[in-house]
Amino acid sequence: MAEVTIKNIVKRYGELEVIHGVNVDIADGEFVVLVGPSGCGKSTLLRMIAGLEPISGGDLSIGKRIVNTMPPKDRDIAMVFQSYALYPHKTVAENMGFSLKIKGAPKAEIDAKVRQAAGVLDLTKLLDRYPRQLSGGQRQRVAMGRAIVRNPQVFLFDEPLSNLDAKLRVAMRVEIKELHQRLKTTTIYVTHDQIEAMTMADKIVVMKDGYVEQIGAPLDLYDNPANVFVAGFIGSPSMNFLRGRIRSEGGVQRFVSDHGSVLPVKPIEVEDGRPVIYGVRPEHIGLGAEGLAVKVAVVEPTGAETQLFARAGEDTIDALLRDRVGVRAGEAVNFVIDPQKAHVFDQQTTKRLS
Amino acid sequence: MGSNRTGWLLLAPTLIILGGFGIVPFIYVLWVSFHQWNPFGANPAMIYNGADNFRRLVFDTEFLQSVWFTMQFGFFAVVSEIVIGYLLAQLLMRDFPGKSIFRTIHTLPLIVAPIVVGSVWRLMTTPSIGIIPYYLNHWFGYQMNIGSSATAAFVTTVVMDIWHWTPLVTLTLLAAIVGLPKDPFEQAQIDGANRWQIFWHITLPMIRPAILATVFIRLMDALRTVDEIWMLTGGGPGAATRYVGLHIWKIVFPKTDYGYGSAISVIVLYLTLVMCWLLYVGLVAPRVKRST
Repeated sequence: MAEVTIKNIVKRYGELEVIHGVNVDIADGEFVVLVGPSGCGKSTLLRMIAGLEPISGGDLSIGKRIVNTMPPKDRDIAMVFQSYALYPHKTVAENMGFSLKIKGAPKAEIDAKVRQAAGVLDLTKLLDRYPRQLSGGQRQRVAMGRAIVRNPQVFLFDEPLSNLDAKLRVAMRVEIKELHQRLKTTTIYVTHDQIEAMTMADKIVVMKDGYVEQIGAPLDLYDNPANVFVAGFIGSPSMNFLRGRIRSEGGVQRFVSDHGSVLPVKPIEVEDGRPVIYGVRPEHIGLGAEGLAVKVAVVEPTGAETQLFARAGEDTIDALLRDRVGVRAGEAVNFVIDPQKAHVFDQQTTKRLS
Repeated sequence: MGSNRTGWLLLAPTLIILGGFGIVPFIYVLWVSFHQWNPFGANPAMIYNGADNFRRLVFDTEFLQSVWFTMQFGFFAVVSEIVIGYLLAQLLMRDFPGKSIFRTIHTLPLIVAPIVVGSVWRLMTTPSIGIIPYYLNHWFGYQMNIGSSATAAFVTTVVMDIWHWTPLVTLTLLAAIVGLPKDPFEQAQIDGANRWQIFWHITLPMIRPAILATVFIRLMDALRTVDEIWMLTGGGPGAATRYVGLHIWKIVFPKTDYGYGSAISVIVLYLTLVMCWLLYVGLVAPRVKRST
């Protein structure tokens, strides 16, 4: 186990710079998720940590050693690929034991470690099978077993659940998290799925276009997003955004959208008439007697909750209600927003003001 | 019924060609192999002589020797072609200046007719005018004469076959290598394997089917080479390069012993099948069995 320090890491392909000086400190035993839309550089960053991509600038250290130019085989890491990358011509046991065999470990030791990992992952019955005879979830587990057998300093996961169906994905998510709690090995996990990030991470690194947008604990990112991008990326359904200005009337600040909707804000220190973006999460909107008058466009009941897509004039607002409501499409209702949970972002910089 | 007829109609061209050029001649050869037949001799009739031809060839040292030479030829040629072909395929996976020109030139031998290959190599190896003996003498002081040295002749036939057929191996293996997934190789690096271990444990097993297919094709081809060898050495010196194909040709045409030549053809076909079967049993079957 080891800490990983990413200091000013830059990645260039010829003239094109794709990662622009990223800094992340990962503590020993921490579960860090790199999350962002496709093309944000998260996989490239992971591959640089693995040693599969050369580092163009900055320092990468694992443990206390700087490993910038160290080949992957010497970094003492294990990686789980999205495609699982199992050796098709080797059995499950051979796949899992390969790294030990390469090191010249005695056969008995390899067997013992493979059996132990197989026990942990419920693969014991499959040890003599070939990858093509396994289901997606089983292959995924073999790939993880191969990583566990190594007992490496760092686990790297590159979108490991993307090829699984929704149900299995949730199950594997739990398994990976449990595994981490048991092994306490430093883990870096790449995903584009913010739910995976939220549910698994000790710390989330949100990336976009080769920059780090924000680093923080999952709920911290949810409660205090640094900017519009993070606010919109974290949380599902996504946060509502309205463009408009802050207006003060009789010492009370309000947000007035470009289309005229008036919404409450908590007191913030900005000048009157400042162009801002107003953000509120659908789950922080309720129904009430007073508030923003809207017309419901679509009602989506899912059992546990009900999602309402509504229009206030030209503005579109989406609300997620915890209980079942007898609202029908076309009905007029009032949306009540808790000003403490609403965010105000600068239109120019998109940074959070409130 | 109608669709059945359409099916047969669609199959007909293949069946006619296969039957006309494959099965009928084979049955004819099989038929001739049980006869004594010299159509240009005093008695041009086919005389049935049972298994006499086969009995004769079991004790025919000339024939047995040619089989032994052929197997050596096939072994050295095919093994070298696989090794060189693999290295060239790996080279073509990388970028280097002039790669596409190299690839084109390197493939050219494939489109040259064997008889022409034989002629060119004969010119190149003829002492006093050939470029190869000249430089071997110039650089190493070696007097090369494939007309008098059995070893030189044998090596030259092998080298010629390598020159002619390695490009085929390169192309086949290149196709196999290009088609490999990238991830297992990265995984192997992370698993701690060095280049040689990756080659041995990952690359080789993954392109194994392509290698085996190439070995089968090349081996069957090498075992029936006639024209190149005939042009280059004529089977000499002595019988040093008289491989079975050439041996059969010599029996059937100059000696006009059709019955005996046919019997040898049948046996050679049988031997080829047996060798391929042994290869299959030894190399392919264990894998298939393990993986099901």
